[in-house]
Amino acid sequence: MAARDGVFGWLYISPLMLVLLPFFVAPLLVIIAASFLQSDGFGGIIVSPTLQNYIDIFTSGLTFNLYVETIKFTVLTWLFSLIIGFWVAYFLVFHVRSPLLAIGLFLLCTVPFWTSNIIRMISWIPLLGKEGLINMALIKIGIVHEPLEFLLFSGFAVVVAYVHQLTIFMIVPIFNSMGRIDKRVVEAALDAGASRFDIMRYIILPLSKNGIALGTIFVVSIVMGDFFVIKVMSGGGSASVVGALYEDVGVLQYPSAAASAVVLTIMVTLVVTAILRSVDVRKEIAL
Amino acid sequence: MSVAPVSKAVAAHAIAPRASGRPWTFYVLLTVFMLYVLALYGPMICIYILSFQDVRGGLVFPMKGFSLHWFVDLFTQVRTGDVKGSFDRSVKLAVIVTIITVVVSFLAGLAFRRRFRGDGVVFYLMIGSLVAPGLVLSIGIGLLLNFVGIQASWYTSAVGAQLSWTLPFGVLVMFAVMSRFDRAWEEAAYDLGASRWQTMRLVIIPILAPGLVAVALFGFTLSYDEFARTLQTAGSLNTLPLEIWSMTLNVTSPSLYALGTVTTIISFIIIVVCLGTIGQLQKRRASRVPAL
Amino acid sequence: MELGPGHIELAGLVKTFDGFINAVDGVNLKIPNGAYCCLLGPSGCGKTTILRMIAGHDDPTAGEILIGGENVVGLPPVARRTAMMFQSYALFPHLSVRDNIAFALQVRGISKAARRKTADAMMEKVRLTEFADRLPAQLSGGQQQRVALARAAITEPRVLLLDEPLSALDEFLRIQMRQELRHMQRELGITFVHVTHTQLEAIALADLVVVMEKGKIRQAGAARDVYDSPKDRYVAEFLGGQNVLSGRIQSVNGQHAVMAAPAGSGIQVPLTPGIHLSTGDSIAVAVRRDDIDLIRPDDQKMAAGGTASVASRVTAIEYQGYFVKVMLDAGSNADFVVYVSERKFFSNPFGIGDVVLATWPVEVARVLR
Repeated sequence: MAARDGVFGWLYISPLMLVLLPFFVAPLLVIIAASFLQSDGFGGIIVSPTLQNYIDIFTSGLTFNLYVETIKFTVLTWLFSLIIGFWVAYFLVFHVRSPLLAIGLFLLCTVPFWTSNIIRMISWIPLLGKEGLINMALIKIGIVHEPLEFLLFSGFAVVVAYVHQLTIFMIVPIFNSMGRIDKRVVEAALDAGASRFDIMRYIILPLSKNGIALGTIFVVSIVMGDFFVIKVMSGGGSASVVGALYEDVGVLQYPSAAASAVVLTIMVTLVVTAILRSVDVRKEIAL
Repeated sequence: MSVAPVSKAVAAHAIAPRASGRPWTFYVLLTVFMLYVLALYGPMICIYILSFQDVRGGLVFPMKGFSLHWFVDLFTQVRTGDVKGSFDRSVKLAVIVTIITVVVSFLAGLAFRRRFRGDGVVFYLMIGSLVAPGLVLSIGIGLLLNFVGIQASWYTSAVGAQLSWTLPFGVLVMFAVMSRFDRAWEEAAYDLGASRWQTMRLVIIPILAPGLVAVALFGFTLSYDEFARTLQTAGSLNTLPLEIWSMTLNVTSPSLYALGTVTTIISFIIIVVCLGTIGQLQKRRASRVPAL
Repeated sequence: MELGPGHIELAGLVKTFDGFINAVDGVNLKIPNGAYCCLLGPSGCGKTTILRMIAGHDDPTAGEILIGGENVVGLPPVARRTAMMFQSYALFPHLSVRDNIAFALQVRGISKAARRKTADAMMEKVRLTEFADRLPAQLSGGQQQRVALARAAITEPRVLLLDEPLSALDEFLRIQMRQELRHMQRELGITFVHVTHTQLEAIALADLVVVMEKGKIRQAGAARDVYDSPKDRYVAEFLGGQNVLSGRIQSVNGQHAVMAAPAGSGIQVPLTPGIHLSTGDSIAVAVRRDDIDLIRPDDQKMAAGGTASVASRVTAIEYQGYFVKVMLDAGSNADFVVYVSERKFFSNPFGIGDVVLATWPVEVARVLR
């Protein structure tokens, strides 16, 4: 039976390639190509190679600022989604006794994502806005006398929105990793007199490393590639790399947008590759 | 017989067994969990409630009146956007994407069980497709279509663009599902005389069925809510997220909240149906491995 | 000569993995039609690989496999008319007992009614009728094994291949199920090839015991032959009922040779026709553990003519119910164990550290190659 399957491996994988090639590889190639060309100023592209687009990007102070902003949000989002996600996953795996209940609670966490992304962003207004619930509550209790402005349409709001949206992407792989930890290993540690801190440090954290890495990849790639959450939630106060890209496209400046896209994609790829190197992702998803 | 005494420090930190009940850490974590769920649902509950306001209703609390006004507004007023049409398209698109995702992920999952030439390349291409900024791919596809001279549309190019997002997820889920599949079942079927197709139909698919439903669920959810990749590839007719996007730029009334409520209810129904299916499948064909 | 449909012949069978490990290294074997054959050996000796090659789940790198006189290499299992029972049983978790058993019929396109009838008859045979609608997860280990057996047997194969069928069961069940297997084999009248690493199981069940090591067959024969007359040291030690003494020949006279071993010198060894012994040769001799008598040194029932003996010290005693295992210091790393019948032991028990004389009739020892 083993020998016959040589051919079938390729047959089975070809549908996947049929999608990935035209809808991932080809567009990337097109963008790379476009980034070396010039715009004719009217939305068309002149096929004459130039490095000007890249030079513009690397000499512009704007680029640097944009990346700083984007990276700032990425790191903050990663930090908070990791902390919250880790503990939620830990709770679900180690403290919930019935697996059925764990799955049920897990699904409970996914329900909010069935409402459109964008509507979820608008939903922050009645909560965080100047006349929103939180401000009303704070004023009523007397902690503040005026509504807190920074709650909405600010960097704070951006991070809140990101964390709200992306923690689930941390929970899933960490939940998966932790679920594989043999409980008997923990028991053996308890037998030997380990404290909670020891168990966390020597057993749980190392064995969840893969899940954390996978979750980080999801979070980082989504935040770095986002443009509308930051635009809406910061009220236009902050910008992002992709946001600038989007605006370029809006004025049909395709080549410069393409160059910017290439640079960003390379950056994201570098980060993801670095993370992938640190863990054996293939083993994690049982390949 | 004398035994080396346990150091005081170790003994102090060691966790003693409990007669019953939960450790204090349980309550702490439970609180964290509940706060998380509350934070997850909080914003949404606000808009569900606010969508039931009457004509005088605004975007924030306090609530003014109680009626279905904004729901009616949603479906009748032209200026609020083509909700019905875009919703229709979104669902159809999601169904197409889901079906393709399930089939292709299933096949890819089967392929990856054995090493084959270039399996590393395929794997990393998949990860690449997952992490690539959605908008970048979207623009790329748009440009590509431009060069080739094909029109973008929601039932062709948007399908492909969304698949570049849903397939990696689908395949990853299939990996997890396949890892619990015992090859011995396949060999036993072969031993008993089943052809390749019979093995697939009678053994592999039924056992993997709950996993396939999970992939379908994933695929549908990801497609239904997909925005960035669809932005430039949907052509002239919008899907729901795209429609909402343009609405948010123009409309500032609780009809948006009403929309949120409606879409959540629909998603909820779909999820319940899927879970019901999985539950039925699990009950009728307990796919737990027999204890050895 | 009519071979019989279930006659198996392996000729020059070789299986190489990754190009350099010989899992099966040139195996030649003939299994008569209707025999119960056990492939016995430790993990990694190649026994399961051979089984899978006979079944058609693996292809040999070289060599031939003939069943009923026809070469089956390259044929799928169903064309060979063999059926395999997997170590983990591999029962389809989503099908009931009845559907599991009827599976082979289902894939042959047999109608539902006919399938049901045949499956019901088979379930009667293995006494599973009351579990017909249950799922495998709801059955005990022994019941699952019977389902696996029924599922394989329903195709009326000419050879049934069993991959460590009893390993997953507890001790008590194992001994019970042994008899079921034997009974089933007799009833079906077909060849059984059963892979195991448990010596007692093999000699209890098999007409033909095949002892293997590292891809090669060491000895094949009836259970009594292999147990009582091991050909070499490995078989003697693996089957477990023998002590192996290695040493050098000190002298040879007309009737015996005399050898010196770490356990002691002056041990008399019978001369075997066909094996030439001369002074200085190093040899190994096997003595059955239950053939050895233990005498206290002060008992003057000394070595009567025709007995060999070794003086030793008791190192451990293990009570095994109807016999007692007495372990002696043999002067080297090799085990030197004596099985003393329980009543005999306790009428005059030894203690740890006691000096004893182990004696046996010279003729019962066997010189090993």
